[in-house]
Amino acid sequence: MDVLPQFLVNGLVIGSFYALSALGLTLILGLMRVVNFAHGELYMLGGVMGWWVTNALGLDFLTGLALVALVMGVFGWLVDRVLIERIRSQGEEPGILLTIGLSIFLANTALLVFGTAPLKVEGPVSSGPVFFGPIVVTKIRLFAVAVCAVLILAAYLLIQKTRLGRAMRATFQDPMAAQLAGIKTANIYACTFALGTIIASMAGMLLGSIYSAQVSIGGLVSMKAFVVVILGGMGSFAGAVVGGLLLGIAESLWGGYVATGWVDIIGFAIVILTLVFRPYGLFSRRAERA
Amino acid sequence: MRFERNALLATLLITALLPLVIRDQYLLHVAIMVLFYAVLATSLNLIVGYVGEFSLGHTAFLGTGAYAAALLSTKLGWPMWATIPAAGLLAAFMGLLIGSITLRLQGPFFVIVTLSFAEVLRLVADNWVAFTNGPMGIAGVPQPSWLAQAGNLATRQFYFYLAWGVLAISLYLAYRFVYSSAGRAAVAVRENRYVAQSVGIRPFRYAMLAFVLGALLAGMAGGFYAHYISFVGPEVFRFAFMVSMIIMVLIGGKGTLVGPLLGALLVTFLEEYLREAKELRLSLFGLAVMGIVLFLPRGLMGFLATRREVRPTAAPPVAVAIAPRRQGV
Repeated sequence: MDVLPQFLVNGLVIGSFYALSALGLTLILGLMRVVNFAHGELYMLGGVMGWWVTNALGLDFLTGLALVALVMGVFGWLVDRVLIERIRSQGEEPGILLTIGLSIFLANTALLVFGTAPLKVEGPVSSGPVFFGPIVVTKIRLFAVAVCAVLILAAYLLIQKTRLGRAMRATFQDPMAAQLAGIKTANIYACTFALGTIIASMAGMLLGSIYSAQVSIGGLVSMKAFVVVILGGMGSFAGAVVGGLLLGIAESLWGGYVATGWVDIIGFAIVILTLVFRPYGLFSRRAERA
Repeated sequence: MRFERNALLATLLITALLPLVIRDQYLLHVAIMVLFYAVLATSLNLIVGYVGEFSLGHTAFLGTGAYAAALLSTKLGWPMWATIPAAGLLAAFMGLLIGSITLRLQGPFFVIVTLSFAEVLRLVADNWVAFTNGPMGIAGVPQPSWLAQAGNLATRQFYFYLAWGVLAISLYLAYRFVYSSAGRAAVAVRENRYVAQSVGIRPFRYAMLAFVLGALLAGMAGGFYAHYISFVGPEVFRFAFMVSMIIMVLIGGKGTLVGPLLGALLVTFLEEYLREAKELRLSLFGLAVMGIVLFLPRGLMGFLATRREVRPTAAPPVAVAIAPRRQGV
């Protein structure tokens, strides 16, 4: 029983990582109705680029993070303007296929360029342990959790408080009315996708400093992000956070008390159960969106 | 309808004659894989093209069939003619189980939950070592004993006709389904769920029928795969199979019976041809998927159909344009 607090803390730490990884997905899904299967690959690109800027360019972590965010933001914007815009009005299926194609392309091209070796992003703080009574957490994990919290809060404020965020929400509610009110919806869609891309890539770089960036991680990240999004409800900010934390804790407890080999199954079990019993997620007011 | 029937019959007839011409073992192997993928693409097409929901979990049925055949023949010693149908039936049962949950959902929910089921099965195959032998897989799935003396070419020919038989059964079942009242009901649901409901069609029932039939065919393909490759591991659930199947259905044209066959032929040859390019191959595949979505949304068959629809209206001006020139000459 004495290891329970440790498991819970581990779960919360991993859960906050899950929440951040899922945030970009839930944004794009909630505001654009695009099921982004390339989400994990965007995360992966963030990690790989983070490795490149900290190792090859020798930048420090935070400057590197800003640079990665900038580049990936431009990339996301281009992806939307060049690819997704063409299928905007055709329902969900073309979007799903297009992003699956994109994810295959990105994953395998990255594999060609960088190979399969894990790439360690230089972290900003040491990985020494910190003790809170019986609980051990490494410094870098604490730092990462803090950054997660800041990023999630920043994204929330951006959507809720700024002019751009208001335009995004208006576009989601009614594209036609938004257009009539003078909002350039094509631009807003591109910005939303860019924002989702930025968050995904920042998550990738941040977690690349704790684990390591791997080219083949994309599929797994996408799956976990889907679990979180479905658990929390599509497009719901609070849902992504709570869903992420719940998944983290559930996995940590399951891994600690039952069997480590089966940890990944719990996410899928959660997805299946959620979709059967509460298809709109735990935060199931259908109207609530980011 | 008649065009599809004739095209399917002609395809089957021509492929049946192929082994008389092809003596090369490698080519025969490629041909066998084309037939195998044709079964898979046909079965996926029943769900994607006729239910109109996008399943990413079709490998669940392929894998169930493959494991069922492998386990039945290695552990219980069942002969091949029994294991392949049994594999299909087990996969159909799995389809019933999974379908009863997933078909209540639509759109992105359906996509993700089907994918989840395939992943769950992959994890089970990977971790339940006592039953599935884990990541090592099940090696040495027995082949009929008389094949041992028959030589390599005869073995390939045998498997070619086995795959041909599975494909023929699949196409027959798919054809009968698509052109039955149940198939038409499914298409009605696909085109407009609410209108279909308003004329008394229950969407769930017909979607389920197509789903279970698709699972049955995929399971038989899996059973065949287990015996032909004689090894089954958790990678039968891997996403790469799924990707190949999707591309085949899309490139050929979903919602047509001929399309997936065309897709299977094209993609299998492309895969073999690009084998030298190794990793680049998958990058190209990704580009191909994006290209199809953007430029060929209805696949090759859809493209041909559009051409055929356009031509009658376009034909008269062409005739007029040609006629004066003849006069001039």
